[in-house]
Amino acid sequence: MIASGVVAYTFRWSVVSESIGEFGRGLLVTLELSALSLVLSLALGLVVALARLSPLAPLRLVAYGYVQIFRALSLYIYVLWIYFGLASAVGVNLSPLAAGVVALTALNSAYMAEIYRSALAAVDPGQREAALSLGFGRVRAFTTVTLPQAVRIAVPGLVNQFIDIVKDSSIIAIIGTLDLMGVANQLVSYYRAPFELYTLVAAFYLALVLSISAAATMLERRLQRHLA
Amino acid sequence: MTVAYTYTWGPVLDNWDAFARGAWIDVWVTGISFLLACVLGVAIALFRRSGLRGLAWPAFAYVQLVRGVPLLVFLYWVYFGIAIVIGVVFTSVQAAIIALTLTGSAYTAEIFRAALGAVDRGHVEAAAALGFSRRDTFRIVVFPQAVRIAVPPLGNIFIGLLKGSTLISVIGVPDMVFQAQQINLSYFTPFEPFTAVALILVVLVAAFAALLTGVERALRLP
Repeated sequence: MIASGVVAYTFRWSVVSESIGEFGRGLLVTLELSALSLVLSLALGLVVALARLSPLAPLRLVAYGYVQIFRALSLYIYVLWIYFGLASAVGVNLSPLAAGVVALTALNSAYMAEIYRSALAAVDPGQREAALSLGFGRVRAFTTVTLPQAVRIAVPGLVNQFIDIVKDSSIIAIIGTLDLMGVANQLVSYYRAPFELYTLVAAFYLALVLSISAAATMLERRLQRHLA
Repeated sequence: MTVAYTYTWGPVLDNWDAFARGAWIDVWVTGISFLLACVLGVAIALFRRSGLRGLAWPAFAYVQLVRGVPLLVFLYWVYFGIAIVIGVVFTSVQAAIIALTLTGSAYTAEIFRAALGAVDRGHVEAAAALGFSRRDTFRIVVFPQAVRIAVPPLGNIFIGLLKGSTLISVIGVPDMVFQAQQINLSYFTPFEPFTAVALILVVLVAAFAALLTGVERALRLP
């Protein structure tokens, strides 16, 4: 309990320099968690998007249900459900990191499926027809003509999703990963300097997010080069 | 290794009223934070559109800064960090509302900025031609149209905040996730209570999405 009053607070910024090494290790875990989830949800999202566009009605229905359910849940509830609930009900004991990757992938693949779906729909159908009339098979027309154009359209949306993954990955710390957030919580209980340490962790996330946006702007410019 | 798990829904069903009270806390905390985020968002959007660099630049920086920091960091930062520095003890609900409002306002600011920009210039010129003051032009002509444009994306922000509100139990707000954890701690049955809150959240999100569709339909111009 903190006595409320006008006692001036003494900032202890030395804590920051003392703990920067720990934060470096936390940063690596955050990057690992985010990168794994990004790659897996990029792949799974595409599969779900294709299932939603499939001519088979049951497949479409399953994919639709997947998207609706995972977009309605919050990551925190889903992590608790996988890490504690599923573990005891099915006997699958995942490490906090693995549970985090599963939860982040399931949630973000649902959003990515919608981004891919609208991008695939935005590719001029004439392109596919032209490929087919040139003798391309359906699979080849998709992989060499439609998909590359769709990915280009999808990039800005996918980048926003990646930024969400990085920010949301902080939630995984609650079940015990030592990512940026987990390290911050640990150090706060050690140094008792919550303001300094949480400000530092905020700065880390902000720097990550701004770097990703900057990299994305460069990537988008590069992808548009052929149009210039 | 796999001991068959016996599902025991009793504790969840017996404590349905605790879940209902918890869910209600999530909803009203979200509602208040959303309203405050809208007010703050309009102010920031006006700053950004003011044409004065001294106002526009800080507003831009605020949006970039806040959007780059996870909600969980804000929750801890407000509840533990700010509280110590300024020597005020926030209740966990107050801290939750402040954190959700901060996060939400950066997004609503961008929505209002786009919506204000999307209102036809011709309407502003017509109002000026009719002798409206700048203030009346904004209040009677521009703002109501901008709000109509902003409603669908604002609805998405509301749902985003509702999902974010499920985090507030980490600083001790007795919301529905908190209740689920209490049941898990008392009965060691994690699957059932966490499934219950997942279902409640899905239902709440579906209900608000339906409400939003209704509002959009009511606001649609004939």
